[in-house]
Amino acid sequence: MQAFENTASPASENFAGEELVSEEDRLRAQIYRLIAVFLSCPPTQKNLKKVSGIKGDDGEFGRALNSFAKIAGNTNEKAVDTEFHDLFIGVTRGELLPFGSYYQTGFLHEKPLARLRTDMAEMGIERVEGLKEPEDHIASVLEIMAGLIEGTYDRRASLAEQKVFFDRHVNSWASQFFTDLENAGNSVLYSPLGSVGRLFMDIEREAFDMS
Amino acid sequence: MPDKPTTDRRSFLKLAGMSTAGAVTVAAGTVAADARESLQKEESGYSETEHVKKVYELARF
Repeated sequence: MQAFENTASPASENFAGEELVSEEDRLRAQIYRLIAVFLSCPPTQKNLKKVSGIKGDDGEFGRALNSFAKIAGNTNEKAVDTEFHDLFIGVTRGELLPFGSYYQTGFLHEKPLARLRTDMAEMGIERVEGLKEPEDHIASVLEIMAGLIEGTYDRRASLAEQKVFFDRHVNSWASQFFTDLENAGNSVLYSPLGSVGRLFMDIEREAFDMS
Repeated sequence: MPDKPTTDRRSFLKLAGMSTAGAVTVAAGTVAADARESLQKEESGYSETEHVKKVYELARF
């Protein structure tokens, strides 16, 4: 996906310090990316096959990952494409509108989007050229979280900086969106992905409170 | 920064599932890498995703 690029430093070779990211943080970034990838566009058969191999642990979050993996292994690209279309695109509109502004104000392109754009500009992150999608799409803000953790945009963000972005642009609405995704009438593969997302937001919220 | 909160946070994350489970690491990591590759390949022709078009339709009202 990588819908955003860093504008603060040219051609940043930003993974130099990657080995310094703890295993927990690397996994956090990967879960953010995993969810973002599946919400940005319908998955390919190749990616379905890959995630079908995910094995979580016995905890609630691990079990949600296992449900997601199991359904991914039993479905196919065509079925998921239809599901994605019904959920997010639709004939007049999809069942869900996965945008922060819509979730927080009831309208698209409102103040939450403006605030996000302001914060992104300050961090030196902007959409890649040609991508016209509003930045407050769920996949976008999750991708930015992954980038902040991994240091994709110039440098790794501190936990305090991650928390600021999370509180302002993710925590305010993502849990509600994931709950809606879990319960959406058209959700099959996306229902357990919604559970993964909702539980992951709980984990993130609690972990940030400890930082 | 005191050391303890960091340790607590790490233990909590591990308990919550952010640990080993090597399979998650590998699968999630490669999915993300693939998505990056495919976007790079499409770069020149990449303009509007399906839901973007839909948003612009909705925004007209």
